[in-house]
Amino acid sequence: METTQMLESIEKVLKPFAQSFNRPSAERLDAVVKAEDLKAAVKAMVDAKWLYLSTITGLDIPAPADQPDAEGHIEALYHFCEGEAIATLRVSVPYSHPVFPSVCEFMPSATLGERELMEMFGVVVENTPSNERLVLPEDWPQGVYPLRKSFTGLNKG
Amino acid sequence: MEKTSDGKFIVPIGAQHPALKEPGHFEFAVEGEIVVGASVRLGYVHRGIEKGCENRNWIQAMYLTERVCGICSHIHATAFALATEKLAGVEVPARAQAIRVLISELERIHSHMLWLGVAAHEGGFDTLFMYSWRDRETVMDLLEAVTGNRVNYSANVIGGVKFDISPEQKETILKGIEFLEERSQHYMEVVTTDETFTGRTRGIGTMPYDDAIRLGAAGPTLRASGVARDVRTDSPYAGYKLFPVNIITDTAGDLDARFIVRIKELFESYRLVREILDNLPEGELSIRVPRRIPAGEAIQRVEAPRGELFYFVQSEGGENPSRVKIRTPSLLNWASITNFAPGHKLADMPMILAGIDPCFSCNDRMITVRDVRTGQVSNLEDLKIR
Amino acid sequence: MALQMDTPWIRAMNKIKTWARINSPWLVHFNSGSCNGCDIEILATLTPRFDIERFGIKLQGSPRHADVLICTGPVTRQARDRLKRVYEQMPEPKFVVAVGSCGISGGVFQGCYNIEGGIDEVIPVDVFVPGCPPRPEAIIYGVVQLLNKLKGPAELPAK
Repeated sequence: METTQMLESIEKVLKPFAQSFNRPSAERLDAVVKAEDLKAAVKAMVDAKWLYLSTITGLDIPAPADQPDAEGHIEALYHFCEGEAIATLRVSVPYSHPVFPSVCEFMPSATLGERELMEMFGVVVENTPSNERLVLPEDWPQGVYPLRKSFTGLNKG
Repeated sequence: MEKTSDGKFIVPIGAQHPALKEPGHFEFAVEGEIVVGASVRLGYVHRGIEKGCENRNWIQAMYLTERVCGICSHIHATAFALATEKLAGVEVPARAQAIRVLISELERIHSHMLWLGVAAHEGGFDTLFMYSWRDRETVMDLLEAVTGNRVNYSANVIGGVKFDISPEQKETILKGIEFLEERSQHYMEVVTTDETFTGRTRGIGTMPYDDAIRLGAAGPTLRASGVARDVRTDSPYAGYKLFPVNIITDTAGDLDARFIVRIKELFESYRLVREILDNLPEGELSIRVPRRIPAGEAIQRVEAPRGELFYFVQSEGGENPSRVKIRTPSLLNWASITNFAPGHKLADMPMILAGIDPCFSCNDRMITVRDVRTGQVSNLEDLKIR
Repeated sequence: MALQMDTPWIRAMNKIKTWARINSPWLVHFNSGSCNGCDIEILATLTPRFDIERFGIKLQGSPRHADVLICTGPVTRQARDRLKRVYEQMPEPKFVVAVGSCGISGGVFQGCYNIEGGIDEVIPVDVFVPGCPPRPEAIIYGVVQLLNKLKGPAELPAK
């Protein structure tokens, strides 16, 4: 099946779970999904035979400088690949409630990505199979998330 | 051998040579001689590169990505450059894209030969190790002839490449490839007919087709289980649109299949190199790219020697990238091992690990072994001696 | 009985005396977080083309039997304590060769959050071999420089 057709077809599959869609480029589809719909969306992908979750990208989106009362968000991008096509589920959670559900039930390979989100961005992934740190050292201070924009380095002590 | 504060003994696995230790952490739980569990804990080579890219301009960031891994440095820089060029909306000249692919294939050759020596050493086949590393010097010479360095070639600029291929260089490369091809015939014979070798590799570490997909394996490890997935063919990038690649697979899915696939890929790379040299498009070596890259997000997937390498690059319109996400292929293969290692004998672990061609630096590793019956923790070296 | 003073001079002499008994130093290798570029070139020194063993140098496994620590990498936070321990396990006299730009200053990773930057931030270094990575010949040259420096002149300069 050709790339455009594949993306059209997966868009239909995701329609019940997504809030909006975007086509950033010819081979890419972005679907904005709420955290509570994430598991269902992943299950739908797997059922539609999109079985390859290439990786999960975390993004830190702090409140804009001119709106100090607004809230920062963490966005996670679940990139599914099939041939040339990349379908990305975009899920955003606020700093005040940075909770994602684990998708390992349907996509076991997601565990490494979930571990990285937790230690680098400070999200909580509920029911994730492993909470162990992935790349940060054991003595890394709790509560310090290197990939947040607010992190500018550990003070050498 | 060091003891950590929680009583575990940690020693690097005796990788390619007893003296060469790669840092990392991979724990096997055993009952006697049988592996019952495996888990991955990385971190010794974590340098904070993704964050580092945010504090560097686009050009500096590319030099940083080159050094994620000294074995596959070119492919990292290529992926980053391609993603940035997408954001910049520029069309890189065909000659440059072809040269990028030429160097990528030379890199694949050096990487597979390096791996062959390492994996052979793990199985005790030191002659094969010495021969393959001696032969590998040929491809190091070729890379140096073209780019000026044996490692970290820095062939890319954002917008193209720095180096051209002269007719003399073309001749040198062709001669080198001829030599390597002959040597590779010999390796193929060893891995398919030498009984001591096949005794250690056939039927070992088998990962069936469905598992390979379910576990998210990548590269030759995946293809050895019959899954025909290769980014160069599925999603051709750079010069691969002009120079298509044949996907190499095997059906056995065992350790021997992983050897066979990589050696066959060597032959495919030799073919590609010749084809590119004979059909190098005319044109410029690079196109100018602005200092500030337009805002947007780009994804670039490439086929590194170990499998799919994934780059996500985000710009906010400035001189620095605002986010660079790098997912290396070895990470996927680590995860697959945690699933298919259990049930095997501990003695098979070094070769099974070598079979996925773990890139030490793309992901680091060390091995501890924990006996679930006694709670005793030891290192793999100890057990090898035993 | 002459007073055994612990001056830097006496220490250096003792080092050299012991060293002179060692004709073929044993190297232990440690990667403190490098990209592996340097490590691969170190390994290449063993292969027939470069053949570091003709200098009587042997690359082996345990710090407890090593004279020289050949070290790469910008020293990640996680590797730091292990690097110290490896150094402490080595018997005197011991020497350190830092291979690669990362070992000098952190190389391209300078400023990154998880690295110390420079092996001499953690342990004393005797020889730095610059390069990213240095060629096998440069690495051998660095190690041989170390040997020459220590087998050096028998005369004691007046201090």
